Amino acid sequence: MTGGPSATARRESAGPALPKLFPNLRPRPRWRELWLLLLVGITLVVGSISLEATRQAQAAAAAGEPAAGLPDLALFHPQPLVLYLVGLLAAHLAQVLSGRRMDQILLPAVGLLGGISLLLMQRLPQGLAGGFGGLGQTQLIWLLLAIGIVTAIAVTVRSDSWLRLYKYTWAAAGISLLLTTFVLGRDVNGQRLTLDVGPVSGQPSELLKVILVVFLAGYLSENRALLVEQSTRLGPIRLPPLPYLAPMVAMWAIALGIVVISRDLGAALLFFVVFLTLLYVATARHSYVVLGLGLFLAGGALMYSLFGHVQTRVDIWLDPFADPQGAGYQVIQALYAFGRGGLIGTGLGGGLPTIGGNMPIPAIHTDFPLAALGEELGLIGILAILGLYLVVIERGLRIAAAAADDFRAILAAGLALVVGVQAFIIAAGNLKLIPLTGITLPFVSYGGSSLVANAVVVGLLLALSDKGVEPPPPPKPPGRRLGRLLDRGAR
Amino acid sequence: MSTLRRPPRRSVGANVTRVGMAMAIAFAGLAAGAGYWQVFEARTLSAAPDNPAVIAAARNAVRGRILDRNGTVLAANDRDANGEPFRTYRTRAVSPVLGYASRQFGTAGLERTFDAQLVGLVRPDPVADLLRKFEDDPYDPQDLQLSLDLPLQQAALRGLGRDRGAVVMLDPRSGELLVLASSPTFDASAIANPETSAAAFADLREDANQPLLPRATQGLYVPGSVFKIVTAIAGLGSDAITPDTMFDEQPRAEREGLVVSGFRINEHSGVPAVSFDLADATEVSSNIFYALVGLETGGETLAEYAGRLGFGGPLPFDLPTAPSQVTNGGGNFGGGFTDAVELANAAYGQAETLVTPLQMALVTATVANDGVLMRPRLVTAFIDEEEARRTVGAEEIRRVLPAADARAIAVAMRQAVEGERGRRFTAGAKVAGVPTAGKSGTAELGGRGEPHSWFIGFAPADEPRIAIAVLVERGGRGGERAAPLGGQMMTAFFEAEDD
Repeated sequence: MTGGPSATARRESAGPALPKLFPNLRPRPRWRELWLLLLVGITLVVGSISLEATRQAQAAAAAGEPAAGLPDLALFHPQPLVLYLVGLLAAHLAQVLSGRRMDQILLPAVGLLGGISLLLMQRLPQGLAGGFGGLGQTQLIWLLLAIGIVTAIAVTVRSDSWLRLYKYTWAAAGISLLLTTFVLGRDVNGQRLTLDVGPVSGQPSELLKVILVVFLAGYLSENRALLVEQSTRLGPIRLPPLPYLAPMVAMWAIALGIVVISRDLGAALLFFVVFLTLLYVATARHSYVVLGLGLFLAGGALMYSLFGHVQTRVDIWLDPFADPQGAGYQVIQALYAFGRGGLIGTGLGGGLPTIGGNMPIPAIHTDFPLAALGEELGLIGILAILGLYLVVIERGLRIAAAAADDFRAILAAGLALVVGVQAFIIAAGNLKLIPLTGITLPFVSYGGSSLVANAVVVGLLLALSDKGVEPPPPPKPPGRRLGRLLDRGAR
Repeated sequence: MSTLRRPPRRSVGANVTRVGMAMAIAFAGLAAGAGYWQVFEARTLSAAPDNPAVIAAARNAVRGRILDRNGTVLAANDRDANGEPFRTYRTRAVSPVLGYASRQFGTAGLERTFDAQLVGLVRPDPVADLLRKFEDDPYDPQDLQLSLDLPLQQAALRGLGRDRGAVVMLDPRSGELLVLASSPTFDASAIANPETSAAAFADLREDANQPLLPRATQGLYVPGSVFKIVTAIAGLGSDAITPDTMFDEQPRAEREGLVVSGFRINEHSGVPAVSFDLADATEVSSNIFYALVGLETGGETLAEYAGRLGFGGPLPFDLPTAPSQVTNGGGNFGGGFTDAVELANAAYGQAETLVTPLQMALVTATVANDGVLMRPRLVTAFIDEEEARRTVGAEEIRRVLPAADARAIAVAMRQAVEGERGRRFTAGAKVAGVPTAGKSGTAELGGRGEPHSWFIGFAPADEPRIAIAVLVERGGRGGERAAPLGGQMMTAFFEAEDD
């Protein structure tokens, strides 16, 4: 690693100032993370060399020269990759210095996904998007910011009370964020997802998913006992306590609202699935899941019958070849990309044939990065990437299972699920297993909002994984606040 | 209503494990989906004509040649001033079949269907395909060997002359097409040549005669009496009738008309009011008899047998085809017919029945091949740069009806050409010295103007080697225009065979 020694040196030279800030600084080595990061580095360097070799071969072919043996071994635009790897190493060192006993596998897994994203964005035409000198440069800046956020949260968050105590405040903040987007947001591609604040524009739904999980963790952990134990008898049928269904109905309504107003099917699906799963985690009651799925199907049918854009999405999914040059174009082109990739792929830079300089899939950097990777890395690459997401999910759920109390368990599970479910929704959409929705592939898609929000998720998961974190407050009796209010309604 | 018990202190760990397993299963589903597209469907997807890889390669690669059955080169390549290759075609006669490959206007016809093979993006050997990316020259263009017979194809176009129409000839035993002619045709070389491309294409698109419409495969026409063979196939195949079936009401109805649900169906002139069996009715082309067969068979069975012959969907063929139909569908009478009147009219080829010439050729070929429908084929082999051939073999689609029934229809069709009364309609189709079977058709279009002229047939009647369908748009009565052309073409086939 080129940046390794200098970064260490920088940290050491700043050594004397540190004790004032962190009087209890006890560095704790993280060898496993370091070795895995070394593997990540090797993988990405090999990828970059392969990209450069393909570029040389293509340039030679375009100039009409015969392919001349093996190309020179060099990195494809080395600077961004080196900066990114230095960033990962710095994040590792900061965690070592913090002395916390945190998970050592999350950062390498996510770091590899981010690195693949960087290579992909470098490889795509730079004019697709990006204000800081092209797609690759912009993505690098966001990736470095994301690493910074992960590290900052992982190192500094030692108490969860600020999340635990103010869940309704968080909920209110989330809803106002949503409303602000509805009112002041800007329509992009027929979806109202983008909010401009000064020069920065972002998609609040990405941050909203984190807030949602925090709120749900607070609500469900507090009312878990009631949700599990109580039931309403309606003749012979045993139903969940009706008043506690209010949040479920509210969630459902919010999800539908997102579909209606901002036309964001993906976010609505993500929120509802994560909500249902967390409800199951908290209660282990299948009746909730069945009821929720029933609501989901009913809502889906309603949306399908009422809204043209929902119908279009479903129709494209059922038969994209009905309109191959129009509505079905992107979906078909994505399938072609997967097909061209085959088992072993065309190699980085070798796929995605352009017609007149245009990418075959216009939204390839945001909605279809998996199709691009499927073409260039093949089925083998896709399986590896899906495996990386499973690793992230597994680490998150492991943190949840080992958590000291319900709040932390549900929070960790929820954080792992927003990443996992989101990856599933967009991957399944790309592969035509479910209708396509325009959400991002976590850590891989181009875009700042997505990277920042997912960085917050990873940072919180790392912080929650620390076994030395302050113990949770003693469990409160159930039925406080909203719980008691709702309980009164049930009698 | 609700009971409050002690709060559970059960951990959520077990639930989390179950959620983890659910996620693992979900991701396994993703992996399966990726495997489906990247392994099982990969070759199909990679060969799709609108796949950018195919389009991009088609611009640069030198395409494989297209040859007729005797090895005559139908499509070759030339180079423009910049050294980039473009297509040249030997003759206009094959343009509706070969289509064109143009840098500006893309591809059509066989050039489109087999774009990936002609450019060399898809290889016959899947393993070689997998390793292609490691080679310096990834393209391996293949030549297409067709079953078309160029002299016969040109004879068909001469026979059609200035008329719009189509001639289809195939070997009923193998499904190999010898002639697939559509008139008018166009100059595909002019579209392929970058210098003349734009002007030629604009002219063709504005031409009122629609030369870019491949009539043999995509023209939909009212069939008239040639459809009676489909009705006979359905009636005999389903045992609704036998070759000896007669209808008591038929002789009177020949004179007075057949009343179906209050609607009167009248016979065309020249049919005597006597009792017919299948062969006699086919010989004089009795509408009344076939209307009765249709009613006896029922709409559902008629539609089912038409479906077995290929109606109702695109044919399994090397070129895109328009689906032929027995009815518009949507009716509740069975098989999609609206009522008995529509069924009775459809049974002799009027009503809402629409067919392509290729479909009618398959109908007659099925009768000729003892009731077995073979897949129609143009491409018989792919030949790579090392002259290695991969042949495309004959393929049975299905048995449509029992052989005995098919032979009964063959007997009736022979009587229609050679019988005393049939000669008045279809004598022109007779091949001298060869037993000939056939059926002419005159498709009334309503209003003024000449009807479409049809003929379908095969020869030799006892052991068929060639089946034919001829359509001449607005050509007049079937016996006047299409049947003589059919006879002329079959005669040319046997003469060429003798040489």
